Amino acid sequence: MSETRGKPADHWLALTSPNSDGSRGCRIESVGVKLPSRMLTTRELMARTSHHTRIQLERLTGIHERHVVGPGETSFTLAAGAARDCLAHSQRQASEIEMLINTSITRSRGGSSQSFEPPLSLFVKQAIGATRAVNFDISNACAGMLTGVFLLQDAIARGEISCGMVVSGEYISHLSWNAAKQIRSIFSKQLASLTLGDAGAAVIVERAPEGAAGIDVIGFTTLAEHSRLCLAFPSTVGPGAQMYTKSRTLQKVAIEDMAPLVAEAIGEAGIDLADIDYLIPHQTSARAIRQGTESFARRIGARPKHVVVNLEEYGNTSSTTLFVALHKYLDEQRIHKGDRVMLLALASGIEIGMAIFTIDSQVEHYGRTH
Amino acid sequence: MGAHIEGASALTGHGLRRPTARRLADAAAQACLAHAGRNPADVDMLINAGVYREDSMGEPALAALIQEDIGANLGQPPVGGHGTFSFDLINGTCGVISAIGVETGFLRSGIIRLGAIVTSDVEPSLRDQGTAPFRPTGGAMLLGWEDGPAGFTDFYTETFAEYGDLFVSGLAWQEHRGPRVPGGPAGRNQMIIDRKPGYHARLTDCAEEATRRFLRRLGMDAGEIDLLVPAPCVPGFVDPLRARLGIPGDRVAYVAEDLEDAYSTAPIAGLQAALRSGRLREARNTLMLAAGAGITVALALYRQSAPGE
Repeated sequence: MSETRGKPADHWLALTSPNSDGSRGCRIESVGVKLPSRMLTTRELMARTSHHTRIQLERLTGIHERHVVGPGETSFTLAAGAARDCLAHSQRQASEIEMLINTSITRSRGGSSQSFEPPLSLFVKQAIGATRAVNFDISNACAGMLTGVFLLQDAIARGEISCGMVVSGEYISHLSWNAAKQIRSIFSKQLASLTLGDAGAAVIVERAPEGAAGIDVIGFTTLAEHSRLCLAFPSTVGPGAQMYTKSRTLQKVAIEDMAPLVAEAIGEAGIDLADIDYLIPHQTSARAIRQGTESFARRIGARPKHVVVNLEEYGNTSSTTLFVALHKYLDEQRIHKGDRVMLLALASGIEIGMAIFTIDSQVEHYGRTH
Repeated sequence: MGAHIEGASALTGHGLRRPTARRLADAAAQACLAHAGRNPADVDMLINAGVYREDSMGEPALAALIQEDIGANLGQPPVGGHGTFSFDLINGTCGVISAIGVETGFLRSGIIRLGAIVTSDVEPSLRDQGTAPFRPTGGAMLLGWEDGPAGFTDFYTETFAEYGDLFVSGLAWQEHRGPRVPGGPAGRNQMIIDRKPGYHARLTDCAEEATRRFLRRLGMDAGEIDLLVPAPCVPGFVDPLRARLGIPGDRVAYVAEDLEDAYSTAPIAGLQAALRSGRLREARNTLMLAAGAGITVALALYRQSAPGE
């Protein structure tokens, strides 16, 4: 094992960057998604609430529709499907994956609404044939996938492994159905549950070839003073879970605390926020993203060139949102080689994480040219 | 030079009126920090590797709640300070060794200076007392980096997926039976733990096979293992295994009887026993071994001196 060791941390974020002594470069090699074919519009969902709520959800959130699972689809099928799609866009074989981390909040499989043991990652790695991979699950709310990338980045930078995969299968539409049975007004703490959509996503992280672009900075912190602003538990009104969110407080805290953390990350990367071509934030509501981005851009004194919002057709897909959005922009060839992207995770905890990376040859494996 | 163990504390739910996973982990973390003479603010990374909790909460990560309870770097992020990053890692009884592997890496990279790992397991629902195959326990350990000779040097994990269905657990929806109170629950998501016959025998087989492979990879003989820290530390698993491997019983860190039925906490309970007896400091090569659902076997080698010394 490598004996390299960087300088002691002197950031608020647990942060890794190209300045870490002796570390190897890493890059996101490919991204895959698995979206259920069934669609549910916001109008259809709101027509099925038990109470007349008068909530104009689409106007509030910007969500027109979302994908929802059909019969036989579970967190496992979404995660495994995304992993296969990721491999289809990759130069890597499943047998080359040395570490596989499942990061979904929901882990439904077979007859279980939430599997605990064995970890879901074991079944995913068996399904795709990544049999030599070390596997475990992580649970870190909507920041799960980026947390997994952080762990892989560290293992690759140290030379422990050269290739790993993070997967997530979020079957979370049951939270919407359970909320629809109880929600009465816009002030309900279950309002955010109506914004959810189902999706699977996967990402391969690998050691970057010499001179290739890759991950510039990745870091995380937990603002645990606010740990109880969003809580999800098994439901008593139907299969699956229920989630209770103090959305306005969460948004306020995130806006207040995000700016110095973003400044720390871009400072470590040696760039300015204006150098970010695409900022992909966690997808909650269009209004919240707009307000949040405006606020920290004002505090930092610069703004990214583009802010990605894909809520209209996916809703909030929990831990997969960042990579569903990245995949969409790669597939539509809206992101180009050389573009600098910032992924910004915001999750219950409060977890705040970010990754800044430069798009390299992965764009060649997406869209019409593929 | 390596990631060394600064402390390990394990406890049972005795004395706690209503032992919850959070309270057990909180108590263990506070005890561990106090024994190690550390402040909660020193913790850069906190990983919760517990599995079963009373409410089966999906989010946030339980680690975030524990971070708040112990008071590790709360408040506004100032420029120039350092925060704590918390998340849950789930790998059954092997979770602690997986978490040690993760934190050893971050310590080696210099991204963190002190890592904490916490565990706890209680009945998944307070209405299901008596159904789970473990006793309510909590644990915590601290990993730091020092330039001395002690440290974790090697990790190995092997899965035997052909035995994946011998132990499965998960929540399943159960409709409420009988007349329903208006506005009352329609049912509940109940934890089902299904352990099939033959699981324990296969666990021992797989643990032996994986250990032999790991030792071969290291170029070591079982005779060079001065101390075995096994999980689960129940005689029915440990004694046949150590006998097959050729490790004498006096080289095993047996835990106190009330911690024998610990679940995710079991590896920490073993470390606590090894620390208290002074044997962890004396042993040149300590082998941590955990085996559980999957079947997954996780191993870690902790050395008191550089290889070959």
